[in-house]
Amino acid sequence: MSADADRSLGRSRPAGASAGDGGRFAILQGKELRQRLIARDEQALVELIEVATPWLLGVTHAMLSDESDAEDVVMQTFSIAWNRIGIFRDDGWDLLPWLLRIARNRAIDRLRSRRRHQMKTKLIETLGGLDERVTPAPEPNEAAQPGWHVHETVKAAIGALPDDQRTAIRLAYFQGLTQSEIAEHLAIPLGTVKTRLRLAFDKLRVSLATVKDWNL
Amino acid sequence: MTAHDWYIEHRVDFVARTLDSDDEASFADHVRRCDECKAAVQIIERDLAWLPMGALPVRPRPGFRHQIVRNVIGDSRPAWRRWVVPTALAASLLIALGLYVPERRESDRLARALATRTGELMSLRDSLSVMRQAARVLQASISMNGREGGLLIFADDVSHRWNVVVHGLPPAPPGESYQFWFICADGMVRGATITSEPGKPAFLTLGMPAQGGTVMGAALTMEPKSNRSPEPRGKELAHLML
Repeated sequence: MSADADRSLGRSRPAGASAGDGGRFAILQGKELRQRLIARDEQALVELIEVATPWLLGVTHAMLSDESDAEDVVMQTFSIAWNRIGIFRDDGWDLLPWLLRIARNRAIDRLRSRRRHQMKTKLIETLGGLDERVTPAPEPNEAAQPGWHVHETVKAAIGALPDDQRTAIRLAYFQGLTQSEIAEHLAIPLGTVKTRLRLAFDKLRVSLATVKDWNL
Repeated sequence: MTAHDWYIEHRVDFVARTLDSDDEASFADHVRRCDECKAAVQIIERDLAWLPMGALPVRPRPGFRHQIVRNVIGDSRPAWRRWVVPTALAASLLIALGLYVPERRESDRLARALATRTGELMSLRDSLSVMRQAARVLQASISMNGREGGLLIFADDVSHRWNVVVHGLPPAPPGESYQFWFICADGMVRGATITSEPGKPAFLTLGMPAQGGTVMGAALTMEPKSNRSPEPRGKELAHLML
């Protein structure tokens, strides 16, 4: 991880302190927001939606390549979170990663149940390059988006991977393809895909350890 | 390589959901039973928890956040909370309507009754005024079927109206009716058909006929209902001249 990334993560800050990109992301810190959500504080829900929606849309849009489906999954994610927040255990999960996991799993379920991955594969081929992004181009003020520094850190971690591993990660994690589908798409043996993914995930687990410890 | 080794090897694939559906289902089943794998999976999940943040954020379209709030809160509110306000409003409206409709009906009925009574009162006042202002009073006695009745005319020369009273006569036989006639300079002019009720005098206020010239008197006949001619054909019961 780069020094810039380290600084942007603000690892030296005490847990619960606001990041440099503004205090809004800080509302996801600690247990205060969670407690308000458990208490059915609707304003807390509004605050959570305000901060988390762009990131959830980012994940679902990248995976589903369909604005309507992506919005639908995000809507479901917040419904699930609102209804299950009472049983959300303090087992190390923070709110945003929890929401991201729900959204990603929902998106994958939808992708696979509708067999959209076949269309997806064709779409990737159409785009003509594995590093082509199917996500929208960054908007000018995205640096002001709460949580942007975390994105930069994750992006740097992925960017540090060798090309073949980075490609495998993008296809598997951000576009929802299975190992078999990746193997078929890249025309390489399944074992090679597994190896690349395993190596990539091992590196990412190390790279993202600092983020994990950052108590957002 | 044991069967469990396969699960150990694919823990991260399970977390990342890159396994094919059959393998994923098999792994999920295993995790439910294997505490070691369950704990290991949870650690990997935590390690990769922020990885989705690698995707670029997408700015929501205008109104989408509000739509989420509406959807989430609307969905999660208990049914009684969602329906209590509309139900209470509907109930209030029904109660108000339930009270309003009978009240309105009663009010309409009373208004109609009042209008009828007012009309009757005005008619009586008018009849009375004709009688009180009458310059002449003409009277004729009529004997019918053993009953003694009569025809009384109050002639008001100011308003040129007559108040005609027929009393003490039996109901007209079937197919016939009492007919009042004006005796004019040019001949008889049909006045009004009179309905006689037992024990009740009949009152009529009549204006002078526009045809036939000067009114010179009046007659009462028992006229067949079939007679539509301008001349009387029935039996004459009374004949009065001014």
